[in-house]
Amino acid sequence: MNKNVLEIIDALTAHQDNESIRVLEELGTNSPDNEVREYTSRALVRKNVHDSLKVVIINQGKGINDLSPAVAMSTINEILALKDKGEVIKILDDTINMHSDETVKENARSVKSLLALS
Amino acid sequence: MAKIIKIGSQNLTPKIANPFKTSRNSSTNPFKYSNFEGNTLQFADVFEGFEPKKTNKLKMIASSVAGSMTKLRSSIAEPIVNFVNRVRGGISNAWDFAKNVNLADYKGLKTISNVMDMAKNSMSKGLNGTAEFLNQDVSVIGKGLSGTVAFLNKDVAVIGKEMSNDISGFGKELSSKWNALISKINHKKISADTPVAELEQMWRNEIALEAGGAA
Repeated sequence: MNKNVLEIIDALTAHQDNESIRVLEELGTNSPDNEVREYTSRALVRKNVHDSLKVVIINQGKGINDLSPAVAMSTINEILALKDKGEVIKILDDTINMHSDETVKENARSVKSLLALS
Repeated sequence: MAKIIKIGSQNLTPKIANPFKTSRNSSTNPFKYSNFEGNTLQFADVFEGFEPKKTNKLKMIASSVAGSMTKLRSSIAEPIVNFVNRVRGGISNAWDFAKNVNLADYKGLKTISNVMDMAKNSMSKGLNGTAEFLNQDVSVIGKGLSGTVAFLNKDVAVIGKEMSNDISGFGKELSSKWNALISKINHKKISADTPVAELEQMWRNEIALEAGGAA
């Protein structure tokens, strides 16, 4: 992965505004490069805010729902590594209860199980 | 005797003393300087009338040539005229003969005509045969060339694919090098303090560079 892109993602991670989350979602999670998607998903998890966690949990093909197992597993590991898991559990519960896609629900249920075991 | 002595001592000049010595004087009188006791001979230059006249050699040659020409004309002119008349008459007779003779009556000429026709026909047939043979040869050569060109086309296609792959690989490598160079240039600008809009623009530029390198 391009070192310049890595630094841009890190800089956006340090920002607290929603605009940085929009940029990470638009350019990072939609990237054709698996490494960029993986690094962006982990960055969104590290932000540990509602809008950033929502991107990697409820969107099909992004974060824990990515078609690349490496990206999905890396995102799950980053979630499990969070010190404050309150916000992520709340979003997982909402997804399990209200999301229309069964695959997304199943993935959220699995992650919640892993959080319970960790 | 005394007179003789007197003459000898007073009047004898060297020339008189040597009467046979040639003189530069053009006088032809041999007795001119003969001195008989101081008296020159009374007759002046008796050989003056016999002095040889200077003749013009050119005039002599011209007159001799003219004489020779006259003799030549009288001896040769007549036979030339006769010869010319004979030749002229001969040509005239030959022309009259050629005009009045029917060539078809002569068997020899017919034979020559037949031989010429045969030669013409055989040459025509030979040329036709050669042309057919050449046509066949050209067809065979054309087929061979067509096969060779098809073979060359295949080779060129293979070489083109290999070159395309090589160029594509070279382009990707160049792109990665270029991106690395750009990254080094922009390295100091990227930080947590950089505005989001600027970071977004930088990222879009990176994507555009990668897309250009991949294309």
